[in-house]
Amino acid sequence: MQLHNRLRTTSSLVAGLAAIALVITGCASKGGGGSTAATSGANSSPLVIGASVSLTGDFSDSGKAVQRGYQLWADTVNAKGGILGRKVQIKIVDDASSPTQVVTNYQNLINKDHVDLTFGPFSTLLTIPASQVAKRYGYAFLAPAGGGPDVFKQNLNNFFFVQPAPTTQSGDVFANWILSLSPADRPKTAAYAELDDPFSAPIAENIRTKFEAAGIQTVYKQVYPSETQDLSPVMAGIAAKHPDVIIGGTQSVDAYAQIKALVQLKYSPKFMFQSNGANSPLEYPNKVGAANTTGVMSSADWFPGSKASGSDAFTAAYTKKFGGTAQQVDDNSAEAYATGQLIEAVAAKAGKLDNATIISSLHSGSWPTVLGDLSWGANGAPTGEFNLVQWQGGKLLPVYPSGVSQAAPVFPKPNWGG
Amino acid sequence: MHALIQGIILGVLTAGVYALMASGQTLIFGIMKVVNLAQGAMVILGAYLSYQLFTSFGIDPLLAIPITTVAMFIVGVAVQLLFLRPLKSEDRSELSLLVTFAVALLLEGIMSVTWKTSVRSINTGYANSSWTVFGYQITLVRLWAFLLSIAALLVLYLLLNRTRFGRAIRATVQNPESARLLGVESSRVSALGFGLGAATAAAAGSVYGLLYPFNSGSHYDLISRLLSIVLLGGLGSIGGAVVGALIVSTSSAVVASTISPSWSEMTFFVILLLVLLIRPQGLFGTTARGAI
Repeated sequence: MQLHNRLRTTSSLVAGLAAIALVITGCASKGGGGSTAATSGANSSPLVIGASVSLTGDFSDSGKAVQRGYQLWADTVNAKGGILGRKVQIKIVDDASSPTQVVTNYQNLINKDHVDLTFGPFSTLLTIPASQVAKRYGYAFLAPAGGGPDVFKQNLNNFFFVQPAPTTQSGDVFANWILSLSPADRPKTAAYAELDDPFSAPIAENIRTKFEAAGIQTVYKQVYPSETQDLSPVMAGIAAKHPDVIIGGTQSVDAYAQIKALVQLKYSPKFMFQSNGANSPLEYPNKVGAANTTGVMSSADWFPGSKASGSDAFTAAYTKKFGGTAQQVDDNSAEAYATGQLIEAVAAKAGKLDNATIISSLHSGSWPTVLGDLSWGANGAPTGEFNLVQWQGGKLLPVYPSGVSQAAPVFPKPNWGG
Repeated sequence: MHALIQGIILGVLTAGVYALMASGQTLIFGIMKVVNLAQGAMVILGAYLSYQLFTSFGIDPLLAIPITTVAMFIVGVAVQLLFLRPLKSEDRSELSLLVTFAVALLLEGIMSVTWKTSVRSINTGYANSSWTVFGYQITLVRLWAFLLSIAALLVLYLLLNRTRFGRAIRATVQNPESARLLGVESSRVSALGFGLGAATAAAAGSVYGLLYPFNSGSHYDLISRLLSIVLLGGLGSIGGAVVGALIVSTSSAVVASTISPSWSEMTFFVILLLVLLIRPQGLFGTTARGAI
């Protein structure tokens, strides 16, 4: 009975709060976008930045890496005295990787907590609904993750994807490098093994379009479902065609399985590119054997030893705060950190910081971050290019474009174990 | 042609592992009429145990099998005593589905907490080696897996046919009431039989961990395959499990290497459907009791 009463009290309280929230949000939207945005100058209250991040659920590993990046940036900037004299405070709420919770979270952050700015969550699935909430209230929405094609189809002018290029174009740099080789060095035949996933198969497909236009013949192309446990038969199908280059549209586990199968089948192509998995400095050599990594290529936006703006300071701060080595820094953290750098840069340039200023500033010019200089199209799609990375001597090194490279690309790929 | 033959080689070598897992599944069904949905989770637990023995003590997964099978035998007996024995016999088959599924979820939870959810793989020195025979690659670890599975199946066969305990099991399978009248303690046989099923899962798990990366959630894919294999072979028939594994594994490898990986998972379900339409009891199942 007591419990029943308490439940009833709680539910009427919830209903009451919901009604109040509705009234407030109604007022806020009538009041026009960006009314709660931060202003500059004498304001000494903390600059509160709200973000919903997946601390539990499917995306929790990556979500926590994003959280580390946001917090690390806030700590770094606060150590320098904050932004325009205001200390930065990051307010993170958990969305349990749920697209409905993420909407509630951003509505609460904006209407209840009145945060000054918002940063994005992890994954395209969550970024789409979240960016719409931000748009409704006139907030700039800077998202370090979630660059699938559907995000850009929304055509939101307040949205900025904080990576060098949309995710599905991350492999284009490999195609560009191959096509920059002399015709004698270029591969003649190509095989594509693609994971059926919105971030894996399209990367390989974009490369295929470029290769076929340049006359590189496709001898094998298959998409495998994500539950495929054994990739040996697929790789046996590829090995039987003797392609010069193998392009894996991969995530992580399937990337390891591809390599293991190829090693077992004793088929080593002249060029090997994997969209993901191979760009994980820590996991990859553990999973496929360090000696088998040599010559495998992938793409990355941040890498240890990068000379991009603030990267050394970021790496030092990261390893100091979270331990480990530069090789163990998660690139999701670097992307989140870059999101903060952009805010810092806008404030420094404009001398003020509000959502309208951020939106208009980022739409013009290019902005230095740990990921390199970033710039965006009208729909928030970055206009740059990823870096081509290659495993050499047990290390993952940027090899192309030449502006960022730390080593010359090695080709043809040495035999497995070599 | 090359891809076809290589596909057959891969499929046949992999079949041994599935035969081993499925033999435990079919044994448990034969003795208790319990469809054990936790068999996949037990295989993965076996894989984790040998992963741990390998990373902590450097024990080769194939040599770890005696340790993991004993450990899992105890787990199996405990599961039977704690969760299955209390079920009333009249609704045991229905309730056991729920109970064994709950056990699968429980094991999954324990494994997620203990080993986290990131994907593990056991990388021994010979993990990537293979022999070239007439231009085809015989993967060493798959060959070991195959031979070991055959050996384990042989041990199981001898246990069932040449020992008192085996006779008690077969008697229980054929006619539990007569067996009881003749002094066979069917409840004890059930507990030991479940333990034996879990022990085969452990042996298969060690081999599975060598072949594939796994995490605590891997058992879902596994159990659907295992159920298809035992249904195809005929519930309760160990020989059927071996043939079922051979068909499932070879057909999916051949289709993946020659036609498309998207069709490979589908292929054996199509075969299963056809077999069940023509022979509802499976290839080697009998409509009467005593198929083991």
